Amino acid sequence: MKAGSLRNVGIMAALLIAPVAFALSAGGYEQRIMTLAGIYAIAVLGYQLIFGRLGALSLAQGSFFGIGAYTTGLLGIHLDWAFPASFLASLIIPAAIACIIAIPVLRLESHYFALATLGISQIALLVGVNWTEGTGGANGLYGVPPLRILGTALDSSEAMLVVVWCVLASAVLAFSWLVKGRAAHRLTLLREAPEAAVTAGIDIGARRLSLFVASAAFGGAAGALQAHSIGVVSPAVLEFQVMVSILAMTVIGGRGHPAGAILGAVLLVHLPEWFRFLEAHYLVAYGAALLVAVIIMPEGLAGLFRRWLVTQERWAPEPPRTSKPEVPTTLAVLHLVGLCKRYGGVVALDNVSITVVPGEILGLIGPNGSGKSTLINVASGLQTLDAGEIRLGNLDLTGMPAHGRARVGLSRTFQTPVQALGLSPLESVLAACPAGLDERRAERHAAACLSAAGLTAPAVPTTSLSPAEARRLDLARALASGPAVLLLDEPAAGLTPAERDDLACCLKHLTDSGLGLLLVDHTMDFLLPLADRVICLATGSVVAEGPPSMVARDPAAIAAYFGEPPP
Amino acid sequence: MGASIPQLLVNGVALGAAYALIALGFVLVINAVGAVNFAQGDLVMAGGFVAVTITEYLTPWANDNLPDLAFIGPRASAVGLGLVILPLTMVVMAVLGLLFSALAYAPLRHRPPVSVFISTIAVGLILQHGANAVFGPEPRVGPPLVVDGNFALGPITLSIQQLSVIFAAGCLITGTGLLLSRSQLGRQLRAVAQDPEMAEAIGISAGHCIAITFALAVALAGSAGMLLSNQFFVAPSDGGLFMLKAYIAVTVGGWGRLDGAAFAALLIGVFEVMMAAFVSYVMAEALLYAGVLLVLLVRPSGLLRETIQRRT
Repeated sequence: MKAGSLRNVGIMAALLIAPVAFALSAGGYEQRIMTLAGIYAIAVLGYQLIFGRLGALSLAQGSFFGIGAYTTGLLGIHLDWAFPASFLASLIIPAAIACIIAIPVLRLESHYFALATLGISQIALLVGVNWTEGTGGANGLYGVPPLRILGTALDSSEAMLVVVWCVLASAVLAFSWLVKGRAAHRLTLLREAPEAAVTAGIDIGARRLSLFVASAAFGGAAGALQAHSIGVVSPAVLEFQVMVSILAMTVIGGRGHPAGAILGAVLLVHLPEWFRFLEAHYLVAYGAALLVAVIIMPEGLAGLFRRWLVTQERWAPEPPRTSKPEVPTTLAVLHLVGLCKRYGGVVALDNVSITVVPGEILGLIGPNGSGKSTLINVASGLQTLDAGEIRLGNLDLTGMPAHGRARVGLSRTFQTPVQALGLSPLESVLAACPAGLDERRAERHAAACLSAAGLTAPAVPTTSLSPAEARRLDLARALASGPAVLLLDEPAAGLTPAERDDLACCLKHLTDSGLGLLLVDHTMDFLLPLADRVICLATGSVVAEGPPSMVARDPAAIAAYFGEPPP
Repeated sequence: MGASIPQLLVNGVALGAAYALIALGFVLVINAVGAVNFAQGDLVMAGGFVAVTITEYLTPWANDNLPDLAFIGPRASAVGLGLVILPLTMVVMAVLGLLFSALAYAPLRHRPPVSVFISTIAVGLILQHGANAVFGPEPRVGPPLVVDGNFALGPITLSIQQLSVIFAAGCLITGTGLLLSRSQLGRQLRAVAQDPEMAEAIGISAGHCIAITFALAVALAGSAGMLLSNQFFVAPSDGGLFMLKAYIAVTVGGWGRLDGAAFAALLIGVFEVMMAAFVSYVMAEALLYAGVLLVLLVRPSGLLRETIQRRT
């Protein structure tokens, strides 16, 4: 275990023990307040998964809390279910509901995702208030049995406090397990650079589903404890107020680190005490605190302690001993057959067929709007194809999602690389390493990819990479998934001549292992000497194909692109 | 209720027209800064309370200084006072909009849109609970636009208030449309909404335009608050539902489309009134939410074509 992680464990242990110790010494009232803080911290941990780590603004976390509370209440009162059965059910039912609503909801863009989750919570509230026979309607359910463990009822405030904070400790462990190691880097990459993440083989749908379901289970657990703790379940647990509290705690405490969940919950649960002079209007203070936090503390309270909390591995400056990638290049031919793509009335690709063989550099040229970027986008799966077929070796990739294509060996870089600024360069590449590698091998592989891409700058944060280095990082990330064929979208754009020469050298070197390159660029004195073959596109069709020297003199290519024969 | 279909239709259109004003303000902010204004509903509520407050100050003055038109009705001296209160409310709300923009948007303009989303949730909380502290939780009745009462059109009795709400909302919507499409200011606002950097490059101050957009959006919310406050009263907790209706209208009408949002808002108002009259209000709400989920299930990018892409 690294020193940083040990310190993290120490801080988390202190944060879990200190509030309990304080409350135990302070008396019954404080114990009940701190119990509530622990309960909210569990719901906030769940919300950190979906909102903090994945960046999806769900507004349903409050409802999962309420559904968990009602599950415990209904099962306890009507069916005499007790802990742990009722508690498990209170985890499973919100999670199952999350699973069902995930189908329509998770593929939505963020503003629709927020609305859809809000609509779902409104429906949950309507059911809670109006299903009088089941939920007791506006009156709610009274007499939820106290928590029983091994036949002993835990009805003292001390016992409840300790149990809640023990559950919170397990929730912190579960949280850490869900986002340990490279999983955390993948989520950061997904959040900050979704297209790069998807084309690096990360399945956005699967991640979203698992985190959404996990967040619902955390919310349900918190709701169940709340029901036991106060013995009553009323529709108040389904009201938007719960969601707003969870959101405020997450933003004020910190979105990504479990310490933030505890800090935010403990602080905001005590807020009404400190703002007693506002009486029932302390929620004005809630709003003001939330506004101040989002403006001056974008990373929340946990962000203030980030130096101690975050164990970001600094990129080791020394070159790795083996520069051999851990994932060998598989040899495969890329066949793009009869690709067609139109945007409304504009034909971007009209029956284009291209083959890239192992070890070759195929240059793709053509004027702006001739379909080069569209070709790379449909080949990598970011855009859908109207007609045509994409095969890599014996595999048919035509219907495969983008992350699937990356996993079987078709990778790409971007014209304007978007970097995940929350990750170091090494972590960015680690996020793209195949899941099958263990941490040690993945680190060796990532270092090898960085050096293969020629990124030899000293240890720097991603924010301070030069444009040329950012492109190299993009290239390293594309290499990390172990591609057979790599699609490069204008890798030399904006580079100085010296940097271009370096890049040419580096690309040439990459093909030694059998990697095939499809290279789009406008810099002819970079591309023509480098390419083994060149294809010229114009208005969505191939107009010339052959060795660079021939295409450069091809009348069709001259008419479409060069204007005059290059020297 | 026992209301006839034409009456219900007028009810629905009046409600929908007010929703349309809310939705217009909602879309204006979306287009200008790419963020959802979660406080829009609470701003409607605030507009209602501003109108109530202005009425409290104006009515005694009107009683003392205006001639008594006793033949119209008991509150005759206040006839037409609403026509003064509406613009006054909008002016106060426009100033609040500038403040709102300076507080909840300006400090976050270089951050992801989700930060603005959260800051508007915070402002909504402050408005809601602030109103609760100042005015108390009980609903308050706002002023009529022209006069209370009904008039008969053959066998049908129609409410003067609702017809005047429809007329006023229609004028405001048309005015907003003309402002945006015909005036130089409107062209500048649209330019900033499309591409703030390009607008800056041709000499338009994006910051000013965004502040003006917020002022306009909040003034529209305030006008809706004033128009709704007579028939539906105004209470501090009203905001959430108004915001939801606007959000749904924008989703159904096509993200970023002013015409689509206004039209969808009108439909939502009519649907709500009809459903509440013939089935139940709860059913109207539930079906509305279920409907929008269905729309998102079938068309994940909204019912009508979006005008803007890749915004939060």
